[in-house]
Amino acid sequence: MSTPFLKINNLSKSYDGVRALTDVSFSIEAGEIHALMGENGAGKSTLIKCLSGVVRPNAGEVLVDGSPIQPGDIRVAESAGILALHQESTAFSHLGAVVNIFVGREPRRAAWLLDRPRMQREAQALMDRLGEKIDLKRPLEELSLAQRQMVGIARALSHQSRLLIMDEPTASLSARETQTLFRIIRQLQKEGTSILYISHRLEEVFELADRVTILRDGKLVETRPIGDVSRNDLVRLMVGRDLLAEESPASAATDRVVLNVDRLTRQGAFKNISFSLRAGEVVGLSGLVGAGRSEVAASIFGVDRADSGTVTVEGAALKPGSVQTAIKRGIALVPEDRQRQGLVLPLSVASNLLLSVLGSVKTGIFRSAAKENALVQEALRDLLVKAASPAVAANTLSGGNQQKLALGKWLAISPRVLILDEPTRGVDVGAKAEIYKIVQKLARNGMATLIISSDLPEILALSDRILVMREGVISGELSRVQANEEAILALALPAEGIAA
Amino acid sequence: MTILSRLARQREYNVLALLVLTVIGVGCANHSFLTAGNLGDILVASVPSVIIACGLTFVIVLGEIDISVGSLLGLLATVMGQITSPTHAGLSVALGIAVTLLLGAFIGLINGVLVAFGRMPSIIVTLGMLTVLQGINLTLINGQFITDLPPALRFFGIGQFLGIPISLWTAAVVVCLAILIARETPLGRRIYASGSNPEAARLAGLPVRGLKLFVFTLTGFLTAVAAVVSVPKLGVIDSGVGQGLELLVVTCVVVGGTSISGGRGTVTGSVLAALLLSVISPMLIFLRLGPSVTYWERAIQGAFILVAVLADHLTSKRHEAR
Repeated sequence: MSTPFLKINNLSKSYDGVRALTDVSFSIEAGEIHALMGENGAGKSTLIKCLSGVVRPNAGEVLVDGSPIQPGDIRVAESAGILALHQESTAFSHLGAVVNIFVGREPRRAAWLLDRPRMQREAQALMDRLGEKIDLKRPLEELSLAQRQMVGIARALSHQSRLLIMDEPTASLSARETQTLFRIIRQLQKEGTSILYISHRLEEVFELADRVTILRDGKLVETRPIGDVSRNDLVRLMVGRDLLAEESPASAATDRVVLNVDRLTRQGAFKNISFSLRAGEVVGLSGLVGAGRSEVAASIFGVDRADSGTVTVEGAALKPGSVQTAIKRGIALVPEDRQRQGLVLPLSVASNLLLSVLGSVKTGIFRSAAKENALVQEALRDLLVKAASPAVAANTLSGGNQQKLALGKWLAISPRVLILDEPTRGVDVGAKAEIYKIVQKLARNGMATLIISSDLPEILALSDRILVMREGVISGELSRVQANEEAILALALPAEGIAA
Repeated sequence: MTILSRLARQREYNVLALLVLTVIGVGCANHSFLTAGNLGDILVASVPSVIIACGLTFVIVLGEIDISVGSLLGLLATVMGQITSPTHAGLSVALGIAVTLLLGAFIGLINGVLVAFGRMPSIIVTLGMLTVLQGINLTLINGQFITDLPPALRFFGIGQFLGIPISLWTAAVVVCLAILIARETPLGRRIYASGSNPEAARLAGLPVRGLKLFVFTLTGFLTAVAAVVSVPKLGVIDSGVGQGLELLVVTCVVVGGTSISGGRGTVTGSVLAALLLSVISPMLIFLRLGPSVTYWERAIQGAFILVAVLADHLTSKRHEAR
């Protein structure tokens, strides 16, 4: 058997003790379009970063033509012909296409002088090869997303890249632009370039790929020729595990509607979102990253202002775009990015817990230390936060305890509606279970909870009902009886025929 | 829309137009403003800010800032004077200039190291440096002003070559080299790229830290060059040399169209803005608006900054809105 162009051997990577990639091995042939699939958090991004030298894997190696390349160095990966096309982040938006294509390896006339005519000529040749007409001098910020992507591909081509990694390249492209991109991908394939293609869109994978590799929980599931799998097989391989990890307790839902969202719309993010939450009910909001889930939460909470539609809490409409009213009416949001949005990390545990009530715990016009202390002690006990003392800084706590703190910050004002955005991202298994317990306990006490999560088992375990979003609209609702991972994915994945 | 935004982005044209209009306007009001002697004086006075602005443009394009240049120039003036003055060390002028240039580059390098490897915000690093340099300067001067610079040194301040002051020749060479670096070298393009999107620069394998070292060292060195061609013009070196220069130079760069958030800006714009700001003070004198009116100079400089940043903000907002 001949050596494959690129071979990945037992690659492992963990961040701060959290395993993102475990012992992954597969190979890519020259001129192959190889699809990489998996749920959010399955380890795709980490794998890309290891391959392109952005991060250094903890173990394992990458072989090009049978010889290992030095890990963790972007320039080494580039000179081996491995180039990643990250989504938008690699563009220098103030600069023109020519500079974007060549920066880092500029053709020179002398040791320190640019060869501008040659840059111009070669850039033009690359664009001709891609069949695109782009004003090469215009700053990229004035070009369309598709055109920027062409510039990115041209940059890859200028490296004589042998493996082009494309991370969700069609995420922001129209159907026609997608077809242009596919044409270019096939052309590159004919010229012998391999493509590692990451996409959530099954249709695209079936249309383009020769083989598909599936990751789940950071581990390799399987690599298969695309002809050997059906759409259903793929979904099953991606989801894979036993459907329900733990038995969910009886629903605590009552009939009293607490939160009602009616035809909420925000241009470019989501439209016509309608649903209601009842006291004691836990509703899951599922969907792919980018489907608009967090944006809906932000609009309900008043961080963003919705263009139209209403949010009512116990019958009274909320003023749009006002966090203060939302909090006053009893809505609490624990944001996705707890480090940046949820906590003030350098402040103490106690200060963080008291953030949302500052101004309300006082005697006369002064803060009341005694009342604050009592509140903090109670919250720490209820939330099972493991902190050396209330005075230590929040950033000394583990991820799970930080998350409990972010939750506790809100519980101090006894909200009626709790919105949790990815409550267990980056949290270890033990803390996860404790957070689930807190959520269930709050529900029994009458809290109406909306949980946004990309973790399907989590959403299945906690929710009484599940709403699924796709591309900014609610594509379906599943009762606890109907809900399983396949049903959710079927609603979350883009409708068939979009790409074709 | 496109023409408007293009024009707005080509700030150097606006600054140039404003400069020409100001000069012509003041010239009409008072003909003696337009004499070769007066215009020459204005140009010579603008030399320090023009030279330093060339370096600072790169710093700001890279998304950093350096506010220590004023007190650095003050310290370098003292060091240069004390080495060469017969009543102090009385050493050779060549040595004095060499030490000045090296010291300037070295202090710039320290700024760069603290920013690139200490990962501190440059505004804090250079604010600290500003204070430290001021303290050292006061200690060195120790209340004794330097009044007797040797003629060989004074030549760099008042001497001429082909009828044009040495300082203008120097400024012209610095400006040409800076434009060349910015436009025609990989180094320059990489500075713009790193300022435009630092994360992307890292992913493209650009040596972002090395670039930071370079721009800060360059600015320190150019501050020393400015010291060599401007300080010897003075009869007296006291502790006030360079005071407030950092604000003037930052103003030049920002008014010249360099985005304070990095990635955008031109050397030409900074230089034109430096000339524009140098015209303000003589303009106030030549308009004969009364003795107290010259105090308005600083207020006008400040207003320029606010207008420039506002214009910047509005054009970038329009971009996001699309």
